[in-house]
Amino acid sequence: MPLDTSAYSLALLRVDGRRWNELRRIHAQIRTQAAADGSSYFEMGHTKVMCVVNGPSEPGPRRGGTAAAAPGGGQSKDAEVAVSIVVAGFSSVDRKRVGRGDKRILELQSTISSALTASLHTHLYPHSTINISLHVLSQDGSLLAALINAATLACVDAGIPMTDYVAACTAGSTSTYAANDESADPLLDLNHQEEQELPGLTVATLGDSDRVAVLVCESRVQVGRLEGMLAVGVDGCKQVREILDRVVREKGRRMLQEGTVEKGVGLDEMDMD
Amino acid sequence: MASTQHVLLSPAELAYLHASLSLTPPIRPDGRTPTQFRPLVAETGILPGTNGSARICFADGTEAIVGVKAEVERTKLSRVGPADELEGTRLVGDVVEGLAGAGGTENITEKEEIATNGADWVELSVEIPGYRDDDAGTAFLSAMLAEALLADGEFARKLYINRRFHWKLYLDILLISPPLSYPLPLLSLTTHLALLSTRLPRLKSEGDEDPFFDDDWAAAPYLYPRRKGDSGKATSKPPVSLLVMAVGNSIIFDPSKEELAVADVALAVSIGEALSSSSTSLGKKATTEDAMNLDDGEGRSLRLLSVRTIDPPSRLTPPGVPNATNSAYGAATATQKQPEARTAELEAVEGVWKAPRGGAKPLVMAALVQKVLEKGGVADEVLDALDAVDLV
Repeated sequence: MPLDTSAYSLALLRVDGRRWNELRRIHAQIRTQAAADGSSYFEMGHTKVMCVVNGPSEPGPRRGGTAAAAPGGGQSKDAEVAVSIVVAGFSSVDRKRVGRGDKRILELQSTISSALTASLHTHLYPHSTINISLHVLSQDGSLLAALINAATLACVDAGIPMTDYVAACTAGSTSTYAANDESADPLLDLNHQEEQELPGLTVATLGDSDRVAVLVCESRVQVGRLEGMLAVGVDGCKQVREILDRVVREKGRRMLQEGTVEKGVGLDEMDMD
Repeated sequence: MASTQHVLLSPAELAYLHASLSLTPPIRPDGRTPTQFRPLVAETGILPGTNGSARICFADGTEAIVGVKAEVERTKLSRVGPADELEGTRLVGDVVEGLAGAGGTENITEKEEIATNGADWVELSVEIPGYRDDDAGTAFLSAMLAEALLADGEFARKLYINRRFHWKLYLDILLISPPLSYPLPLLSLTTHLALLSTRLPRLKSEGDEDPFFDDDWAAAPYLYPRRKGDSGKATSKPPVSLLVMAVGNSIIFDPSKEELAVADVALAVSIGEALSSSSTSLGKKATTEDAMNLDDGEGRSLRLLSVRTIDPPSRLTPPGVPNATNSAYGAATATQKQPEARTAELEAVEGVWKAPRGGAKPLVMAALVQKVLEKGGVADEVLDALDAVDLV
């Protein structure tokens, strides 16, 4: 179904009624599952993902299957970040079964793994593995961004030391590459429809800074538009970071109130609002 | 896979666990009674993009999500008589025929069509993190769940649209957490809830036309229709598979991983709720089931759908060495090169762990199945509990 972008210039509203710089509704939860070391649930519009982190753990007795077959971790000085993504068959509109060996999935896995390896203090856990398993329950664009955000939250929940949040977001442009429109506006947070038609990129930044941790662009776009898209994307990442931070603080405060965790020494000075 | 995964318990620990579970009443490590399930949190209708979905979280932290998606598919017109088909599909055919009652012959051949194709109309896949999807254990799990679903008999009939088209149902079962215990009960209960919450668009076209549906989702009927008035509970239910195990003389439901490691026998028992009209026609099919059919006036009548033995990991556990043959306790060592291999052949010594050998005794199996189907027993309790979940 082609996306009608001609209406955009009339009211400056996108197909789902957002303005160019508006994010979709973001809802996030951490510590959703008791059995895992860390877990999170992240919703960005209709894109819904779940993340479960196990580890860092040293390789124990072989449990069979592919998890144990992964090399590394064993000898290296740094912890290895093993990411596995399961895309549920019911996640997209038409049921599609995506195998684990799918090239796109492998690329997403390695992107997330390298982004988090850079942010997590992996040197503190030699010879061990951090297993991050991500489940895609529903997809409506910005999949990589949602996966990165969920993985960040779950790592925070698992208590793995990290330099800062890795917050991700997508950005696009209002007209197609072929239209070659000079006055195209950048867009923030693409949904599935927009992602199919318009050029877009995924950007992740490290915390409050402008330091880009991930930049993935899989579509053709005029180089002149790239700067605007990137600026909008980085700005969106900062908004996402605020949301992630709020979720973590909220959960932390509730855990203190419930007495799940003892109030530490350092926490007194921390600004918990 | 999960059923055979190794538990890090020493022979002494296994012997202790076995002994405490064989007591009457058994003492379970987590303090549950023998028929008590782990507490669980359940919700349905969590994914608006699916026809039906559910999520269940057990108290031990294992969590599963099931999504059901339906597609319209053209029915393959095969003129194969049901006589050449497998046992399972023939049973479906007979039940459907029985339900059709005294319908015309043409009607019956049409129903046979459903019966012969029924198995292809459902596709079930299980995803367990860390395991390949073609792993033997995963395949066994999905086969077991699909078998229970189809053995129900009337399931394929629900997917019938007209002679040319039918619904194809895709059930995707996701285990979110690592498999801490054998996940069969969790996956089965979640599938049950997801199917209960499944709705298919209302058919507007008639007869054998190309199907045309009402686009009002609010008008979409449930796959398992609701009784009017009576708090909207479903009239029939999808099957539930329960895991039961026997240790000594105790029968234990919903065993944890550690308990499964000392099981003498482990069974996956699938039960369904019999329709009052069809229970008689099914009863004559399998004589053994006749006795199991418990018709209790106002309550539900449970029906045994399938029984599978699960290979318990206890068979792979190392045996303990009795003091009499242990060289550390001064036993003669000269003749014994492999004490473990020899003690395995010896008779059981009180308090020394020995992996169970051989098959299950028929009496034990019968007792297990009887216990599951008992009126007011665990199956009733589980179905009642699942009834209480709000369907969105």
